[in-house]
Amino acid sequence: MTVVRIAVAGLALLLAAACSPPAPPRGQAATTGGTVCAPPQGRPEAETPTTIDVIEQAYFCILGNYYSGPTLDARSLLTAGFLALTQEINRDGRDLPEATMPALTGDRKADWTAFEAAYRKITDQVPDLRDNLAIVTLEAMVAALGDNHARWAGQPERPPDYYDGDGYGLGLRANVSAPPRNDDPRVTLPPLFVTTVEGGAAQAAGLRPGDIVESINGMAPFLDGRTTPAIAALYPEYPDTRPVRLRLLRQDTGRRWTVSLKPGLYPRDLAGLQVVRSKLADDDVAYVRMTGFTPDSANRVLRAVTRLRTGRTLSGVVLDLRGNGGGSPAEATRLLSAFTHGKNTAYQCTVNGTCQATPTDDTVELLNLPLVVLIDRDCASACEHFSSAVKDLRLGRLVGTRTAGVISGPAQPYLLANNTLLSFPARHHLGPDREVIDRIGVPPDHHVPLTPGDAAAGRDPVLAKALTLLHT
Amino acid sequence: MRQILAVAAGLAVLAASGCSAPSPPRADAPPATPAGPATLPAPTGDHPVGTTVLHLTDTSRPDPWDLDADARELKVTLWYPTEQRDGQRAPYMTAKESELLLKGSGIASAPFDTLSKTRTNAVQDADPVGRRRPLVVLSPGFTKPLSTLTSLAEDLASRGYVVAGIDHTYESYATTLSDGRIAECLACDSDTDPGFGAGLVQGRAADVSFVLDQLTSTGKHAGLIDRERIAMVGQSIGGASTMAAMVKDPRIRAGIDMDGTTYARIPKSGLSRPFMFIGSREHVPGGNDNSWDRDWKLLTGWKRWLVLSGAEHQSFTDTRLLSDALGIKPLPGVLPAARAAELTRTYVAAFLDQHLKSERQPLLEEPSSRYPEVRFCPAACDES
Repeated sequence: MTVVRIAVAGLALLLAAACSPPAPPRGQAATTGGTVCAPPQGRPEAETPTTIDVIEQAYFCILGNYYSGPTLDARSLLTAGFLALTQEINRDGRDLPEATMPALTGDRKADWTAFEAAYRKITDQVPDLRDNLAIVTLEAMVAALGDNHARWAGQPERPPDYYDGDGYGLGLRANVSAPPRNDDPRVTLPPLFVTTVEGGAAQAAGLRPGDIVESINGMAPFLDGRTTPAIAALYPEYPDTRPVRLRLLRQDTGRRWTVSLKPGLYPRDLAGLQVVRSKLADDDVAYVRMTGFTPDSANRVLRAVTRLRTGRTLSGVVLDLRGNGGGSPAEATRLLSAFTHGKNTAYQCTVNGTCQATPTDDTVELLNLPLVVLIDRDCASACEHFSSAVKDLRLGRLVGTRTAGVISGPAQPYLLANNTLLSFPARHHLGPDREVIDRIGVPPDHHVPLTPGDAAAGRDPVLAKALTLLHT
Repeated sequence: MRQILAVAAGLAVLAASGCSAPSPPRADAPPATPAGPATLPAPTGDHPVGTTVLHLTDTSRPDPWDLDADARELKVTLWYPTEQRDGQRAPYMTAKESELLLKGSGIASAPFDTLSKTRTNAVQDADPVGRRRPLVVLSPGFTKPLSTLTSLAEDLASRGYVVAGIDHTYESYATTLSDGRIAECLACDSDTDPGFGAGLVQGRAADVSFVLDQLTSTGKHAGLIDRERIAMVGQSIGGASTMAAMVKDPRIRAGIDMDGTTYARIPKSGLSRPFMFIGSREHVPGGNDNSWDRDWKLLTGWKRWLVLSGAEHQSFTDTRLLSDALGIKPLPGVLPAARAAELTRTYVAAFLDQHLKSERQPLLEEPSSRYPEVRFCPAACDES
């Protein structure tokens, strides 16, 4: 569902928070009086059904703590929730004469009371739908914020035979690497093609990077040059096990064929799952790939560079942030602090324009090495905090394609009464020049898209460009 | 997107084991009055116990954590029956190891060298006695030195076993290597990565196979060990490593996982050698951790799944025995340290006596009135 989908970036942060107790948002809580919901302490207990009381808690949690909570017209949340409620009843092939929206006045408490009364009257008549109606209502209220770091999620349902490191799905990644959203500002050009074969059904069927996906379950991935919802079928989620039919074209042989891939669990290469990996490139460049800003990841990157530097003179660092879904802003700031001191890397602003600077940590030793950062459409959140600072503060050059534009602001999780987590930002993120990065993304200094031919041949034109830049 | 959720699930599992593992009450513990050095409980078997340390180097593979080391050095501690009753008792750990362990675990309620003063029962470098004794490999939890399993090791040696405990280098806060250098926890750098546990247990399985090669084929201990009677026991990720080592190395005839979420893939054909899970309530069937349920179906031989009422993650190690010395108050409702050590020693020994010495153990057949804390899962496992 959208709620899940938009939260890629926040996920790593949330998970990190699962272990180290998250710092309570003292300042925020004090100013908002948001006692209706609190950050989780440790792992939540077992999830219980979503009820109208949970929806009420979420409603006041948002109004008390969300970025635009102080100015938000709360009627927009209630209306969105009510629409979803009636749609769900209609989807069940029913309707109710009294399923009409109550009059709202703009008074947040009175409007909630009216909404709750109508909600109870309606759901009492369709008790078999009750649990589901509560879920869609709350999902719609959160979605109505239109914030890519606002998310409501239950505890992930995990396949019983899951092993640490397993993937679930068809076992492939394409150049559109996640189901596209309706409001996705990212542009993808045809064709759709396989970029990575991770395992599972895709590997068993002999798919290779560079294979062009001409149709998915008989539907075209592009219509009039725009992506279609058919692409979502490439990324089925547990417990979906319905086979997905792909028509494929292998350009170098001209072979055209159809496969049916059944979603399932598959083991992935463990080395490839390491968040920080490094190697020496061209004998004098430290290449470090970082797939998330997880706890301590900045130090891991810096240690890797130090190690590669020992006993030789480096001509630069390539930091590969392609596919980096973000994580902790503190890690992004720490890593930036190895390239500059005395600067602000970002601003976090309230809805009324009060901004807090995120300065560099000048206790971090400067590397004093030229930097090239590799970015792509999956570089999101903290990754865009990092990339935008590299650009604005002139710390290095960006190579690849425009970043995701998924950086509304750092999300804070709140535990709801049924042990689900609601998370959203209290402040919105601006770049070092106080520009909006969210939705817009960060453009590369050198635009180098990946082609099916590159993928098929195992070429990396983005890295090649980076090495050229460091050697000229 | 599913991949990301799968990753999420993996991280949650790790976070769970990572979180539940250390959890010593830290600053929030009441003002501490350390009680002076701890004394480990006396071994219960007939034999006096000797101990010695071996440093072994596997030149066939690079170290998995130190990317600049092209060989893997391991510290192995042996415990064994001896006839020598008197002599210098072996140190529990060095002052520096104690300091790194306490600092790493966030314990500041006692002087940093406190654990090095712990009194053990084994005579340092005593001569072993006997031939062709059954061997038990021990593997500790993540970040923990092997010393944290000393109470169990000494007890097993007093009962006639040779025990080989492995400090898996760079997976503990402190391991003193052969040249005196102290290896710290390099693996801690990446312990939130997806697939971390799966990778770590593969490495430990390789450590175990190498140690078995060394102990059974060469050196002065080869005659002491019966190569046909080898088992392995581990706590936390050491228990997960027991499963991994058994899947990979058929020389290990039987194994015990003490409260460890497992990571190794058992082949679809199953694992038919005897295996026992023994854990805390975190590991009841259908609980937070799916791994024991998952593996249970693939264990096709003799198997048990025991859950101890009132046990927590450290009930199977020395950690709680050291709490008084560290000025840490016991957690309310948790098994007292001495009782936890007794239960661990009793059930581990019963398992090994049955499967390595072919002595049938009624304790493993059904609940015992002497040990009412022990519940037999998944059949009779309800919280009492």
